Amino acid sequence: MKRFKNIKLIALFAVLFGGSLLLNSCGDNDNPVDEYTGDDAYVLSLAYQGTDGNFTYYSVQFEDVMSGKLSALGQGFDQLGYFTYNQIGDKIYSTGGMGTNNIIGLEKDANGNLQEIGGVSSFDNSLNDVVETEGNKLLSVEMSSTSDVVTLHIIDPETVTINSSNSTAVSNLTDLTGTSFSGMVQSGNYVFVSFYISDPATYATNHTDVAQVAVFSYPELEFVKVIEDTRTGPIGGFGTNSGLTKDESGNVYALSHSNPANGYSQFTNDAGILRINSGDTEFDENYLFDFDAVTDGKTTAHLVYLGNGKVFAEMNMQDRSEQATWSDSPLKPAVLDLQNKTINYIEDVPEHAGLGRKLAASALYDGTSIYLCVPEDVSIYVYKIDPSNYTATKGAEVEANFVAGFFKL
Amino acid sequence: MTACTRKFKLYTLIKHTTYSAIVIIFLILVRSTMLASGQTSTAQISGNVSSSTGESLPGVSLVLGDLNLGTITDIEGNFRLDHIPEGNYELQASCMGFESFQKNVQVSLHEQIKLNIVLQEKTYSINDVVVSGKSATRRVIEQAYQVSSVSAKDMFNSTADAKAVMNRISGVRIQEDGGLGSNIDFTLNGFSGDQVKFFMDGIPMDNFGSSLGLGDLPVNMIEQVDVYKGVVPVWLGTDALGGAVNIITNRKNDYLDASYSIGSFNTHRASLNGAYTNPETGFTVRGNFFYNYSDNNYDVLAEIVENNTIVDTAEVERFHDRYRSGTIKLETGYINKKYADNLLLGIMASANDKEVQHGATMHTVYGGIMRNSQSLIPTLRYSKKNLLADGLDVSLYSALNFSESQVIDTLRGVRYNWLGERTISETSDGQVSNNGEFFRTFTTLNEEEFTSQLNAGYALSTRSSLAFNYAFNYFHRKAFDTENPDNIDNRFPKSMTKQVLGLAYKFDPNPKWSMTLFGKLFFLKAKTSKEFDFALETQRTEAIENSQQNWGYGFASTYFVLPQLQLKTSYEHTSRMPMPLEIFGNGLFVDANPDLGPEQSDNFNIGTEYRLNLNQQHRLAIGSSFVYREADDLIYTVVTVSSPKTHYDNLNKTRVLGVEGNFQYNWKELFHLGANVTFQDITDQAELIYNESYTGTGWQKNFHHGFRLPNKPYFFGNANAGLTLHELKQPGSSLSLNYFFNFVEQYFLTWAEMGSTNDKYVIPRQISHDMEVGYSFQNGKYNLSAECRNIFDTRLYDKYYLQKPGRSFSIKLRYTI
Repeated sequence: MKRFKNIKLIALFAVLFGGSLLLNSCGDNDNPVDEYTGDDAYVLSLAYQGTDGNFTYYSVQFEDVMSGKLSALGQGFDQLGYFTYNQIGDKIYSTGGMGTNNIIGLEKDANGNLQEIGGVSSFDNSLNDVVETEGNKLLSVEMSSTSDVVTLHIIDPETVTINSSNSTAVSNLTDLTGTSFSGMVQSGNYVFVSFYISDPATYATNHTDVAQVAVFSYPELEFVKVIEDTRTGPIGGFGTNSGLTKDESGNVYALSHSNPANGYSQFTNDAGILRINSGDTEFDENYLFDFDAVTDGKTTAHLVYLGNGKVFAEMNMQDRSEQATWSDSPLKPAVLDLQNKTINYIEDVPEHAGLGRKLAASALYDGTSIYLCVPEDVSIYVYKIDPSNYTATKGAEVEANFVAGFFKL
Repeated sequence: MTACTRKFKLYTLIKHTTYSAIVIIFLILVRSTMLASGQTSTAQISGNVSSSTGESLPGVSLVLGDLNLGTITDIEGNFRLDHIPEGNYELQASCMGFESFQKNVQVSLHEQIKLNIVLQEKTYSINDVVVSGKSATRRVIEQAYQVSSVSAKDMFNSTADAKAVMNRISGVRIQEDGGLGSNIDFTLNGFSGDQVKFFMDGIPMDNFGSSLGLGDLPVNMIEQVDVYKGVVPVWLGTDALGGAVNIITNRKNDYLDASYSIGSFNTHRASLNGAYTNPETGFTVRGNFFYNYSDNNYDVLAEIVENNTIVDTAEVERFHDRYRSGTIKLETGYINKKYADNLLLGIMASANDKEVQHGATMHTVYGGIMRNSQSLIPTLRYSKKNLLADGLDVSLYSALNFSESQVIDTLRGVRYNWLGERTISETSDGQVSNNGEFFRTFTTLNEEEFTSQLNAGYALSTRSSLAFNYAFNYFHRKAFDTENPDNIDNRFPKSMTKQVLGLAYKFDPNPKWSMTLFGKLFFLKAKTSKEFDFALETQRTEAIENSQQNWGYGFASTYFVLPQLQLKTSYEHTSRMPMPLEIFGNGLFVDANPDLGPEQSDNFNIGTEYRLNLNQQHRLAIGSSFVYREADDLIYTVVTVSSPKTHYDNLNKTRVLGVEGNFQYNWKELFHLGANVTFQDITDQAELIYNESYTGTGWQKNFHHGFRLPNKPYFFGNANAGLTLHELKQPGSSLSLNYFFNFVEQYFLTWAEMGSTNDKYVIPRQISHDMEVGYSFQNGKYNLSAECRNIFDTRLYDKYYLQKPGRSFSIKLRYTI
């Protein structure tokens, strides 16, 4: 009898021991959602922050962004690390990574699913921005406040491999340390790169009395000179890459805001927009978009070029003197007319916090409408803005921590 | 005079009952000797308690009948009862799992009586079941705490280290970056980092420096490793959130163990351990020395980058991964003296240096980055039974720790790829960049620490005792970077004083049931200075400090349903106090949060273990336990996308539900088979996350609520089988053959529920096999072994595809007396 009891005990333990094996079978989650794979898909690169502080990005295709909920649950192309996204042509280029500085292209495959394309390139420093050249190449730049070298790359958009590169010592640009990238465009025979000086240790900006843009030859990428203007402070700010904007005729607009909400510890000059006329390598002394005159001193760190001299802007609704540092808020969308020097706010969109990232990537302008993700209270919503009549309608709820990219493939 | 002849000298035999008791197989041996000293006014009884198999028994209650005078044996099994008036008494000794012992003792004035007591294991006559003798690890396991105790003895002939010993414990998963000397993440039931505290012989070793890491300590210097899961006994005074590990080094009084191994990847490991004790004077010297070296030049599959473009993926040899470490540990003093049972002064000197081959992932290759560390650790150990009052046992373990470590990245403008090709980053006009490979630095970190553990135990009666712990820890760190002398973070040294008070009450309602209740108090005082309003006119530096206190409580209980069936359950509510960086930030990217509180957790274990011994031939042990952890207020880095700044806050919540099982079977001394398996479901339980720029309020729904945490193995196990043939060809020889199997189920680097599963973020299921063959002769005096790890050359990784070594071979020679 006792012996029987022991056998029962052994059996009990065997069950407990095996229990862990059984529990495992219910551990896996397999509920993929049918992701939209048709034409004219909206692609949202949705960012999720993990408990360990790491981010994961999911580029998900949606047919409709004006209703329901947009989420990466069970769908999307995932990328672990810290990424930024840009659409150029029919491809999305993600730059960044986990402990690496890569550029990875994404495109739709024959079945409409997103897939990686071409080779992967790996860089010494992170690529600050990727823009399209007039010859449909990719132009990218490495500029870091802790590096003494600035490197420009022309990258093939199909193979995602480097066509040519050129490095310049930072000492050619400035004697100061802490060159920080704020914007880049290519126009005609030149590449313009705007920068500001931010202490690599403290992020303090102690030099705010001049606008500086570095000029490089194109396609050689050789350093030419730095052009300066003291009518405004430095061009661009932290993370937004909106320092330089190009119109359809090749004129380059340089935005200066020196706003504490976007990485400045002080401001000493007026905020405004300067212009480099197409073909020139100097600022146009006769052009100034003066924020004090046009917007009552409200500034912006985010510009997206729409056409006909009009730009979409996320205006910071607080005076610079009252700004909370690094807040990138409170923002309200507006359309600026760079020629007529006017502003029209989009009143249908509530004031909201910004992401401090490149607006041209996180908002979509499809030629007629602007799709903007607006955080409200605890959720994010898509707003579809009509820039012709300054109205907006509220669309889908985005179930993600933030939207790193809003594209249409 | 040899050690042997000394041992058999009169009087000294008594002190060395550990040896003599081996000869005595049955019941009780009492050897009493009168010492004609006459210096004390009352009589004294002292001695040692051991099991019939010769192992000294700690924690045995001894009571002198009518006097109500009692004590408990120390870790070596020694006891002493003082101030005994003349008379005739009954001495009782009792310990769970053993027959209680009584003896009449006639005590005359000034007499000093030495008694050596051998307790007989309880023999329950349930058919043919006999409870086997208990090893040291078995006794730890039988504590009410959920503890896994592994003896390193069986591994003395292998090239294993502390890490390998622990990786065979259920609930434990050690994640490595690479080969010898690589970074190690120790995870216990999902807790890791500062949440699990490490001790060496009861002294906290968290800040001992990287040269005394788990991969450095050779198995031959370790006697056993105890892993306390979730619930930590008060005597290890600490603020662990998820458990504690105590590494117990060799503590035999007379021995020598020398070994040397050589293996693949130019790996050499030498270790020399020994102790000498003069039986007459009690003078003792103990020493451990070890040296590790490896080139770690194993092959990895890596991407070859040329001109910023990945041109190929190829098997390449690691070229910048050499690791060296060495340690000397000496301890000397007196044992078994009137003023102290142990009074030992020691010193540890340790150093290592390491070439760094790659960054957080293998995409970034380095060829010049180095790290090194040196530590000097003086120690003091004092213990005394019946100090001031009978039944009051006191021990004090203290250590100072001076360590210096460096991170060196001083190559300028140099880049390496996986082929070891070096390129110089030059501008178009020929200037060479000054940039380092990762970030140009030559940082020296200086750390000083004082740590002290005072433990006192008092036996209230044969069935109840009180234990008190006071732990004090002071830690100071300063850093300097010669390449970047203005680094703001380095300008402000940080210090921290931590104190832990613990009180436990243990009572055994009956011989089958033991219960411990305990409470702990944690005090923290952290100090630094900080710069305010940088770049503004009001910029200034101020000293700041932060004080906090918190408390914890819990219980541990065990019950023997049958002599061979043990149930145990334990619970603890505990805290992990925040670190100075987390409170103060670094004056730079990490802002201060003076309101930051401790991380809290509730840990609950219920376990059962069944042990069977059939005809002394078949021994079977099978155990299973369930763990539940609810961790709250976990410290979390608040990231703001629009700003490079972060701060720490108490936001995260995780829950761990786990099941563990272990199985061990031995047939005679010939064959053994063992396995353990762990399944743990660690889920994110936070409802909201906070990020200043995500939404207007900063609060946002946590989209991972309820999901299993990524990058943590959740299902793993290992198994081993071995055959030992004794008396092969010549007497005293043995041949052993051992096989090890390791398994980790595939797991995800990102949240499994999100996305359509990119294969890149799955660590595939990993299975590996190791073999060892060993031959010993002259009763284990000479040992020769050979082993092969990862026999099938499987590609193994623990973290982000950082590849671990493939197949490797090693041989080891070992000599012991």
